[in-house]
Amino acid sequence: MTSDADDDAALARRIIGCAPGRDAGAEAELCRRLGPRIRLYGLKHLRSEAAAADLMQDVLVMVLQKLREGGVREPEHVASFVLGAARQMVIDGRRSSLRRERILAAFPVDLVPADGEAPEPIDTKRIGRCLSALPERERAVLVMTFYDDRPADAVAAELGLSAGNVRVIRHRGLDRLRGCMETAGETT
Amino acid sequence: MRRATCTTSEQQLLAYWLGEIDGAQESRMDEHLLACAACSERLRALVDFGTAIRGELLAGDFGFVLPPAFVRRIKAAGLRVREYNLEPGGSVSCTIAPDDELVAAHLRAPLHGVRRLDFVLQDPRAGTLRVTDVAFDPAADGVTMVPSVPYLRTLRYEQQRVRLVVVDGVEERVIGDYTFNHYPS
Repeated sequence: MTSDADDDAALARRIIGCAPGRDAGAEAELCRRLGPRIRLYGLKHLRSEAAAADLMQDVLVMVLQKLREGGVREPEHVASFVLGAARQMVIDGRRSSLRRERILAAFPVDLVPADGEAPEPIDTKRIGRCLSALPERERAVLVMTFYDDRPADAVAAELGLSAGNVRVIRHRGLDRLRGCMETAGETT
Repeated sequence: MRRATCTTSEQQLLAYWLGEIDGAQESRMDEHLLACAACSERLRALVDFGTAIRGELLAGDFGFVLPPAFVRRIKAAGLRVREYNLEPGGSVSCTIAPDDELVAAHLRAPLHGVRRLDFVLQDPRAGTLRVTDVAFDPAADGVTMVPSVPYLRTLRYEQQRVRLVVVDGVEERVIGDYTFNHYPS
């Protein structure tokens, strides 16, 4: 069986093997594959879409440079290498705009996934209708959770419930919401 | 060749996102998500769902009943919230101004020992609507009703009544009646 790690490693080896030339196809594909994952890491740890997008570009530039230079010793663990780079950049927080612009200008790879690959935006009217149809307690838990990404114990404290109870209600609410969204989608 | 399937559950992904796991577990999940496109996509979909829920809340498109502390948090974050406070049996003249983003009515009621609370709304257009088992903090001094902003903006000189009902098995008792006399701004 193949895995994402196998595919990422194969692309990394192609980039390494082509140096000092460039395998533009492998580089673009690796960026396409890793970009969204790095962005999500950035969103988790920086809690800002803009900062996450910046992190994604900076990490991809760095990883591609290292692959070309032969600085990634174990291409089969390229994801671990990416994680280390992302973690360090988040810790450092050193990302002056001038430095970023210089680096990005020297790197003519399109690091942003094509529009066609972006997920379909959620229909806000539909989600509003589906939220309204939820049992009150489930709606309340989802709203209190996702307003500012509150963990279960914090929501529980505001409702006089246990964290376990909140997680059960949250899971049920999400399932019901998703079911409603899928049904509404089929009938429109 | 078949593709390996990942067994990470949605609950695990959400626990990671919401900070419900310890540092070591978080690091392992960081690593897993960078190596697993499927889990990364599933988590992104969950995050987008959460963002959409937040957006609907802030747009005021639907009504809900929540603990007062939560509404205070929203207001502290900068949202323009018009507030009313009512004691049981109380009434208030109320409206919604053009620049109000939400309206919150704090309904004081004795909640100590309450296990299930229902909310009954008598509306001039929609009739009687009963919402069962609303979320509340039993340690708080009441609940907060946040009505739908678009609906409020359609009201002229109309009256709504709200009743809070404690349900205990087959028995019910009313712990508060509240009257809202709307006028256009």
